[in-house]
Amino acid sequence: MRPLTEEESKAVFAKLANYIGKNIVHLIDRQDEPHCFRLQKDRVFYVSESSMKLAISVARPNLISLGTCFGKFTKSGKFKLHITALDYLAQYAKYKVWIKPNGEMPFLYGNHVLKAHLGRITEDTPEHQGVVVFSMNDIPLGFGVTARSTVDTRKLDPTAIIVFHQADVGEYLRDEETLF
Amino acid sequence: MDVSDILAAHAAKQKAVTVEKEIPLEVDTGFLTVTDLNPVDTESYEANLEEYLMSTARDGVQTLIASLFSLPTTSSPDGPLAQLPAPTTQLPRAKPLPKPKPMTKWEKFAKAKGIQKKRRDKKIWDEEKQEWVDRWGWKGANKAKEKQWLSEVPANADLDYDAAKVARDARKARVAKNEKQRQQNLARAAQEMGPSAAPPPVDVRKKQIDRTLAVTRTSTASMGKFDRKLEGEKKLKGMKRKFEPTEMSAESEKSHNLAILSKLDKEPVAKKSKKSAPSSGGSDVLNVRKAIRATSKGKGSAALASGGKGVKGKKGKR
Repeated sequence: MRPLTEEESKAVFAKLANYIGKNIVHLIDRQDEPHCFRLQKDRVFYVSESSMKLAISVARPNLISLGTCFGKFTKSGKFKLHITALDYLAQYAKYKVWIKPNGEMPFLYGNHVLKAHLGRITEDTPEHQGVVVFSMNDIPLGFGVTARSTVDTRKLDPTAIIVFHQADVGEYLRDEETLF
Repeated sequence: MDVSDILAAHAAKQKAVTVEKEIPLEVDTGFLTVTDLNPVDTESYEANLEEYLMSTARDGVQTLIASLFSLPTTSSPDGPLAQLPAPTTQLPRAKPLPKPKPMTKWEKFAKAKGIQKKRRDKKIWDEEKQEWVDRWGWKGANKAKEKQWLSEVPANADLDYDAAKVARDARKARVAKNEKQRQQNLARAAQEMGPSAAPPPVDVRKKQIDRTLAVTRTSTASMGKFDRKLEGEKKLKGMKRKFEPTEMSAESEKSHNLAILSKLDKEPVAKKSKKSAPSSGGSDVLNVRKAIRATSKGKGSAALASGGKGVKGKKGKR
């Protein structure tokens, strides 16, 4: 377990900024309890300072997880967000997409969001913007990247992809062994 | 009445128009230059320096102007203009003579054999067209075989024998061969001139060699792990990674992270800038696009810019 280097921090923040924009400040500068980012093996954990201090005494091979896993660094140094970060992303998301009940299951099986399943979308969402996907009763289901801007979606046919799937809560079951 | 006194006085006042010296002055009207080669008269030089210099200069200028008046003139609105001849004085070269170019392989051979260079005309006579055509290049005569409407086919030729293609390939091959020979000549010349090029400084060269050695040592199948070690060979040292201590004060970590964040905001990421471009200036406080749509009632910024007049006018017409 160690703090992130500058390059690593940049990669993590750039990826987070895609979803929550300037709200990252709220993650770093928290009123309730100081939190920090820690790297263990290749995973990035967002953890309160008190738990981090407890975890210091656990040997590196024995430490499986702490705090909230935000994602992991690939071997080529890119940062990949995991579904476990959804709690924070949903809380601070700038752009949101709500999908109809008939589109929930397809999305949870790892498919992209089609226009037919689109219930609501934040106005003025640009193209290729990270969005958090909600069910119609405001339960966060996952996140993805918009394929078109809100304006462009009007002209599309119902089978066109609106949001590219990145992660969904179905992964808790599908990738149970590798996720944590 | 005797005017000879007056004339003599006048002539004394006016100095002689013709200058006579032991060695005649050298005049180069092209450069408007006069050179006085006479030795300095020490007596008058020491007696009165200014006067002596003045008199020598005056003599020179007198000669120059006299020679100018003997030149052919052209008239102009500002008066007659003398036409200066080409300068006769030889000036020394500003730059040293160029070094002789290194000889090509053919030039060496020709020199050894005593072969004289023959200039070939760039144009040759075309009997059919009855005119001079270029030997090569655009519409060059070397492409005649490719262009002719009827061409010979060898007796043992294949079914798909294309005479034009064969001729063209042969021509291209000749060009390629020539280019190859030119490159070889250049390389040979560079090798001959080589030692004159300054080698890199010692410390730079040492670093280059170290770098090359490090690369070659890891460029084996086992990335240098199972290679036979040479005597006295040192272990390769990589970069030592350095991390912050795991336990930092929360305050310092926070400020560190915020600094990185602010740096990220300043960096113009290609994608990010594209996204933020439409809502330029519109921070989170005001959504410019939305505002434009609301005020123009969905007609866009162009309608807003024309000030509603255009909209009304259109309505009036209809």
